[in-house]
Amino acid sequence: MTKSNELLLLKAVSKSFPATARGGEPIEILDAIDLALSPATSMAITGKSGSGKSTLLQISAGLLSCETGEVLFDGKRLDTLDDGRLSRIRSTCMGFIFQSSLLLDDFTALENVTVPAMIKGLGEREARSKALALLESVGLGDRLGHKSDQLSGGERQRVAIARALVNEPLVLFADEPTGSLDERNAAIIEDMLFALVAEKQVALMLITHNMPFASRCDQVYRLHNRKLEVIR
Amino acid sequence: MRTTLPWMLIGRKLGIHSSSAAKRRILFNVLLISVVVAALVFAQLFVVSMSRGIANKYALLGNGHLQVHEMAGTPIPTLDEIYDVQLVAQTYSLIYSPSKNLMVRLKGVEGSYFNEQRRGELTFLPTDLDAKGSSLPQVLLSTSIAGKLEVGQGDRVALMMISNNTLRPQLCIVANLYDSGYKELDDNLIFCDFSLMEKLFSTKADTYYELLVADNAISEVRSRLEGEGLSVTSWDQENFAVATNLETSRQAVLGVMVVVAILCGYFISELSRELIEDDKRRIALLKLLGAGNTLVRGVYFTTVMLVTLFSILVGTASGILLGLNLGSMLSFLAARSIPALSFYLLDFTVVIPYLDIATILLVLVLVSSLSVLWSLRRVAKIPLLISARFD
Repeated sequence: MTKSNELLLLKAVSKSFPATARGGEPIEILDAIDLALSPATSMAITGKSGSGKSTLLQISAGLLSCETGEVLFDGKRLDTLDDGRLSRIRSTCMGFIFQSSLLLDDFTALENVTVPAMIKGLGEREARSKALALLESVGLGDRLGHKSDQLSGGERQRVAIARALVNEPLVLFADEPTGSLDERNAAIIEDMLFALVAEKQVALMLITHNMPFASRCDQVYRLHNRKLEVIR
Repeated sequence: MRTTLPWMLIGRKLGIHSSSAAKRRILFNVLLISVVVAALVFAQLFVVSMSRGIANKYALLGNGHLQVHEMAGTPIPTLDEIYDVQLVAQTYSLIYSPSKNLMVRLKGVEGSYFNEQRRGELTFLPTDLDAKGSSLPQVLLSTSIAGKLEVGQGDRVALMMISNNTLRPQLCIVANLYDSGYKELDDNLIFCDFSLMEKLFSTKADTYYELLVADNAISEVRSRLEGEGLSVTSWDQENFAVATNLETSRQAVLGVMVVVAILCGYFISELSRELIEDDKRRIALLKLLGAGNTLVRGVYFTTVMLVTLFSILVGTASGILLGLNLGSMLSFLAARSIPALSFYLLDFTVVIPYLDIATILLVLVLVSSLSVLWSLRRVAKIPLLISARFD
C-alpha cells in the first residue's frame, strides 16, 4: 500500500486514439486525469456514451496503456510490469465485470467460477468449494452444472460477479454491469453487487450512465470533455 | 495442483465437450498428419526392404556375403556365424542359341549350392534337372536369358568360355530355368556344374569360396578371416556399383523423407495458428482472468503436440501395417509381368527399418515442436480487450 493509502492512483493520465485504423489526426479521449481509489471504497464514473469511461477503466486496470501520466496500483506502476507480474496482479488483486458476462461458453457456471481460482493457484477441490459458496450466495446454487447458453442474461451476470470475486480481489472493475439487463434483473444485480462489495471489503470502480446506480457509490465522477468532474 | 487447470483446458480442446468445428478441425489434422506419416513410413519401408532384397539376391546368388580368394582346398575356419561355405568357379562366357547369342557370367557350383535359403530366392520351373537323361553338361538359365536366346528347357546351347586368355567351347543342355525376381541379376547370370569348369579350365579357372554369414556378423567374420591370413572381399566390393547405388538411393530417399517430414512439421504449426485464431476471445478472457502467456502457450502447445503424437502413432502403425501386407500386392504385380516394373525387385522380404523411421519421426516431432512454439508467439499479441470487443 502506498503512503497515501490509495489502492489505485492515476496521475495526469492522457489518452488519445488515431482517427482511423490507418492513423490520421488523433482523437483525444482523456486529458490529464487524476484519480484515487482507496481500499474498500466505491467510485462511479458516469458520462455520455463515447465520453471515454470504459477507456478510463481499462487504463486503470492496466488493460490499456496511457500516453502520458502514471497508473499506480498498490504503489506499483502498472506500465513497468512484465506480463507475468501483470497477470499475477490481475489474478490476485483485480476482478472484472463487463456489460456482457464474458463466460467461457463450453464451461458450466461452476467451472467458470472455478477457473480464475485455479489460475491463482488453488487446488481444484478448494477452488470448487469457494466457487460453490459464491454461486450459492448469488442464488445460483441450483444452476451449477448449466452452461452459459443455458442461463438467462441475469444469471450469466451473477456468474460473472461470482467469478470476479472468487479470488477475493482488492478492487472490482465493473463496466456497465447492468447495461444489458432489464430493469428487474438490473436491480437484483445492483443490490447483489453492493452487498458483496461491502461484505468482502472490496474497492469498486463502477462505470455506468445510470445515475441512481452510480449514486450508491462513495464517490461519483462525471467524465465530460476529456476531464473528470466531481459530482460527489 | 496447478497442473490441473492446463489439463482441464486441454481436455476441453480435445475432448467431447469441444465444439464441433474444433472437433472437425482436429480430426482433419489427425487424418492429414496420419496419412503423410503413413506414406513416409510405407515409402521408407518399401525402399529399404527392396534395397535389402536386392542386396540379398546379390549376396546369395551373385557372390555370397564374403568371398575368400584362395586355392581350392584351403581350410576355411569354422565359425558359428558362417552358415554355408561353397567352392565356386566363375568366368565370362558367350552363350549361343541357334538364333541369338549373349555375354553372360557363368558360375560353376556344387550340387549343394542351392540350399534351402538360395532356393528361397529362386523360382524354378517344375522339372527335375536329372530327368533329362542327356550326356551333355547341364546349364541353369534364367527365364530372362532363355527368353532372349529363344530357348527353353531341354534345348541345346553352346558356351564359349573365357578364362585367363583361354577359350573353351562347350555344348550344353538347358536343364532348367530359374527366376530370381530381379532382372538386373537374371540378365547375365547362368549356372553350371562345378566339375565342368574344373574339367575345362583345370587350375586356370577363377575359383573362390563363397561364404554365407549371419547379417550382423559380416564385418566381424571378415576381420577374423583376414586375421587368419586369408584374402577376403565382401559382396559390396564385388558389386561396387550396385551396392553404392543401393546405399545412395536409400540415403537419397531418406533425405527426401526428412524434407517431407520438415514440411509436414511446419504444416502442423498451422493447426496451432488455427486453434489460436479460433480461440482468440477465450485466450483474451483467460488472460483477463490472470492466466499468463506461459500458461496459455503451454495449453496450446500440449494440445497440438498431443494431436501430432497421436497422428504420428496412427500413421506409423498404418504405414507399417500397409508395408507388412506389401507381399501380396507385390506378388500380384510380379505375376502380371508389367514391363514398367521389370527393373524393380518385386519379391522381397519386408523389413522394418526402425532407425530410419525413428529418424523421420524424430525430425517431424522436432520441427513441429519448434514451429508450433514459434507460432505460439502470437499469444502474447492477443489484446485482452478483444474478449469484450467481440461481444
